[in-house]
Amino acid sequence: MITLYDYELSGNCYKLRLLMGMLGVDWTTVPIDFYPGREHKSEWFLKINPLGQLPVIEDDGLVLRDAQAILVYLASKYDAVGTWYPRDNPALLGEIGQWLAFADGITGTASAARLHDALFYDFDVEAARAGAHRLFRILDEHLWFGEQEGRDWICSASHPTIADIACFPYIMLSEEGGVPRQDYPAIRRWCDRVKRIKGFTVMSGVFPAGPAKAA
Amino acid sequence: MTKTRCTDQVILDLWHPLAALAEVRAGVVVDTVLLEERLSLAIDGKGSAAVWRDRADLAEGSLVDVAAVDGKLPVKLAYGYIWTSLGNPPADLFPIPEFDEPDRRKLNAATVGVNVSAPRAIENFLDMGHFPYVHTDILGAEPHTEVKEYDVEISVDRDEILATRCRFFQPMASTTSTEGADVDYIYRVPHPYCSVLYKSSPVDESRLDVIAVFLQPVDQEHVRAHMMLCILDEENEDKVIKRFQQTIFGQDKPILENQFPKRLPLDPRAETPIRADKSAIAYRRWLSQKGVTYGVIPAAT
Amino acid sequence: MLDTAKTRWHPVAATYDLPFRHVFHAQLLGREFAVWRADDGYVNVWENRCLHRGVRLSIGINDGRELKCQYHGWRYSNRTAGCTYIPAHPADAPARTITNRTFAAVERYGLIWSAEEPQGEVPELPGLAEGELLTLRGIPVNAPADVVAARLEGYRFQPNGRTDGSDAKVSVEASNEFSVALRAVDGEASTLAVFFVQPVDSNRSVIRGVLDGKVEGAVRLAVLHHHNDLLSKLRDIAEHEAQAQPVPAPLEPVIDRVSPELAEMPEETKHGRKATIRVEVARKWQAADGIAGFELRPIKGLLPTFQPGAHIDVHLPNGLIRQYSITNGPGESDSYIIGVKLERDSKGGSTCLHETVRQGDVLAISEPRNNFPLRRDAMKTIFVAGGIGITPLLAMAQALSNQSLNFELHYFAQNEAQLAFPEKTACLGTSLKPHLGLSPEQTGARLREILSGYRSDAHLYLCGPGPMLEAARHVAAEAGWPETAVHFEYFKNTNVIDDSSSFEVALARSCVTLKVPAGRTILDVMREAGIDMPSSCEQGACGTCLATVIEGEPDHQDVYLNDAERKSGTKIMTCVSRAKSARLVLDL
Repeated sequence: MITLYDYELSGNCYKLRLLMGMLGVDWTTVPIDFYPGREHKSEWFLKINPLGQLPVIEDDGLVLRDAQAILVYLASKYDAVGTWYPRDNPALLGEIGQWLAFADGITGTASAARLHDALFYDFDVEAARAGAHRLFRILDEHLWFGEQEGRDWICSASHPTIADIACFPYIMLSEEGGVPRQDYPAIRRWCDRVKRIKGFTVMSGVFPAGPAKAA
Repeated sequence: MTKTRCTDQVILDLWHPLAALAEVRAGVVVDTVLLEERLSLAIDGKGSAAVWRDRADLAEGSLVDVAAVDGKLPVKLAYGYIWTSLGNPPADLFPIPEFDEPDRRKLNAATVGVNVSAPRAIENFLDMGHFPYVHTDILGAEPHTEVKEYDVEISVDRDEILATRCRFFQPMASTTSTEGADVDYIYRVPHPYCSVLYKSSPVDESRLDVIAVFLQPVDQEHVRAHMMLCILDEENEDKVIKRFQQTIFGQDKPILENQFPKRLPLDPRAETPIRADKSAIAYRRWLSQKGVTYGVIPAAT
Repeated sequence: MLDTAKTRWHPVAATYDLPFRHVFHAQLLGREFAVWRADDGYVNVWENRCLHRGVRLSIGINDGRELKCQYHGWRYSNRTAGCTYIPAHPADAPARTITNRTFAAVERYGLIWSAEEPQGEVPELPGLAEGELLTLRGIPVNAPADVVAARLEGYRFQPNGRTDGSDAKVSVEASNEFSVALRAVDGEASTLAVFFVQPVDSNRSVIRGVLDGKVEGAVRLAVLHHHNDLLSKLRDIAEHEAQAQPVPAPLEPVIDRVSPELAEMPEETKHGRKATIRVEVARKWQAADGIAGFELRPIKGLLPTFQPGAHIDVHLPNGLIRQYSITNGPGESDSYIIGVKLERDSKGGSTCLHETVRQGDVLAISEPRNNFPLRRDAMKTIFVAGGIGITPLLAMAQALSNQSLNFELHYFAQNEAQLAFPEKTACLGTSLKPHLGLSPEQTGARLREILSGYRSDAHLYLCGPGPMLEAARHVAAEAGWPETAVHFEYFKNTNVIDDSSSFEVALARSCVTLKVPAGRTILDVMREAGIDMPSSCEQGACGTCLATVIEGEPDHQDVYLNDAERKSGTKIMTCVSRAKSARLVLDL
């Protein structure tokens, strides 16, 4: 079984919990006292991940770090239908890779602002917020035109991919870092769509969406 | 006396928490903000502590001899935290007798920054009606949504609010059962920005766990929330206990940060209470009677 | 400028911002709105704050009929914004005056328009024909509206179909402080573009553009991209300009205070049998064999919020007043639908409605009253309806169904043709369980099956003819259902009222003592003394004129109170019940 080194309030860890929930994969959790204990910088954890970052998984003897890399691995191995990371579609894989990097950008900005506000990290919060707004403007425009073309998801497929999972958490948590989403209505609608994917689970700070279809 | 940005004498004269002792490295300066004032603090290995107004020669992270700092503010070490005051604080902090019971686990679950006023956070701490909606499947679950009648009094001799006979349905009420049941709660508000909760212990039904929230007002609309646990649990690691409390607090956070206005309105006609809000009504009245103006929107007189 | 802006209509959202079951977060002149479209198409523009604890409703849930607050699950109805359910007090009907602040909403030109205090109508724009338009992507700008509007006067674009060119002539056709109409002409091609600047806050705006002419497919996308690119550049310039100026303080919209009675846990305050609402019979149809359906639409304005179980008084042309349950599902707030059975021994009420009242007639009705509130905290809810007793239970069943809560609706009738409102019951799926053509004995046996195996956290709601209700209550008691879990509503009180006693009534809060002689009711005597007391059926069935007894022994003659309530001696229906003791003290 997969072992997830996890911190409940981490959006990067949540990416993996989300995808594993949607794929119906079981896992066990090793809680890491990220805050205030800084256990991810402890000697024992640095042996597992010398970068001292969460999340990390262990699966069949394989130890993997980096949320985006793990999403690629999980989708490649456990998605029987092969839609989350379609290995036989090079163009789509390219798109996914591009947005996984974008997700890293969101982590570097929106998540940094949240760490500053909530957990008192010594970051330049104004720069982080401005950076997050810059990225959100780009994504909102991309999603708005997607809607006009009948596309619901970040990549040009008729189904969600791990790019959606990678971008979702720190967008949903952005208000905790003083980055409101009011000016990004297409992002807000896309968030509703992500919440309605079968198997969706919440984390602290993320509310569920209402029923999608008439009762 | 130095002029302060906060002009609310009631609040200035209180003890305010600044940091969990367990998380401060001995002899090293830590900076923080209280009531819009930049402060520094340090503790040493012998149990003495100092708090002073931030100054250039004692930068954060530098080593300091606590005993040698001059211009110190009042200091108290209590319930695992270092407290100070910008005014004339009372001799004693409010009592939590259970803290002295030797078999209890005492820890800081976390100190978290929240973009909300301290009184809004206190009111949320006193509230049971949101359990099924905000702490779904942990502290409550639909359709068990009823807040049963409970009692609230303002204790005159102790000058604190006391809510008793509180009960709420909890899906997994104890470690030994998978069934839901009503759980008992007692709430105290002994300080405008601090509240103490007593809750049925899942391991010993004759005793109560103590969970407190001590709010450090950074400014009128921002707090550092210190969550103190004083509980009966011999089984779980600290980090498992902390994870649970942080999960709960993380669920409240987006609610608190989406309340408008951020400061607590004391005008009874600002918002609509229901019977379940008895303790909140008492709290708002109590703040009004004390003349608190910081972190609230006072009622027009 | 922003003072007069309050009385103007402004766009606050675009039609594409309101997809199925979404809540849009809007803002105008500093005031935030939660904007949502119900499944029936109605667009709601509400203050973005739950009246309870100020939480933004834009983080709430649009279930298609109601908006649910994320904090305590309070539910607010489509259209009226009235609170229909407070989960913390599942046994109470919320005072219907708990109503969120709503704002005008008009959908035109692919935009949603609103205003703080609108004067006049949404502006008519010559050249923009509904249905022949293209709504552009809204562009939020961190700059004041006047800066943005000034920049828009110099906006240069290509007409539709010529977006690859660059030499169109653009002229300003009209402009004011919040909008600019421009025409671009390039050879044969000509496009009118109207831009509205939505003043979000003192330093924030949204550019909302509408083009004339219908374009489709690739051309449409090209046009949308063309303007998006140009407007984004304009945005960057406007933001640059705004950054060079001192930042104005954000606007602070005034939040209305709630009414004084809402500052405390509110009590019902509507008095007497007042028919305050005029409705038109928009539709009359045969809802089942012997049952007429009536759809009652307001002559003007909105109908008040109703809760499942509520009834209205209908004032008939012949002077009679009758009570009918509202059958609507949650959020169906544009009309009330009632069902009226033609009674064989009608004293003129049902006959009048069946034979005299027609489509187009105007009737007077009371506000809805709910003396039969529905708890929604049961693990299982059983409804038992006999005949026309379906009406309140139908509203309840639809409410539970909408929230995916567990229930069964047992519907007893003589035959299939007598099952009323099939279009509504059909939506309940397998939760609807008809029982047809049963004799009284068979009905009893069936009830024993249905009500066997009581478990805690179950609730039972009964409505139907008197004998069936008696039987069902009896069966429930035998099967171990506690009285607190059995809720019922009689159509009428068939008890023979004995009004031969005479006694004294003291009203503790009003400090008056009244004599009630034989042949008169407590309610009558109180009214005569100027005590305002709400009532509805005035025959001891509906529960509206309930009073609390402080002292003395009531002589119960109603069918509203259950046995425990009767025995406790603390409640009395003042329209029919009397005193066994010489004196009653009431908390009035």
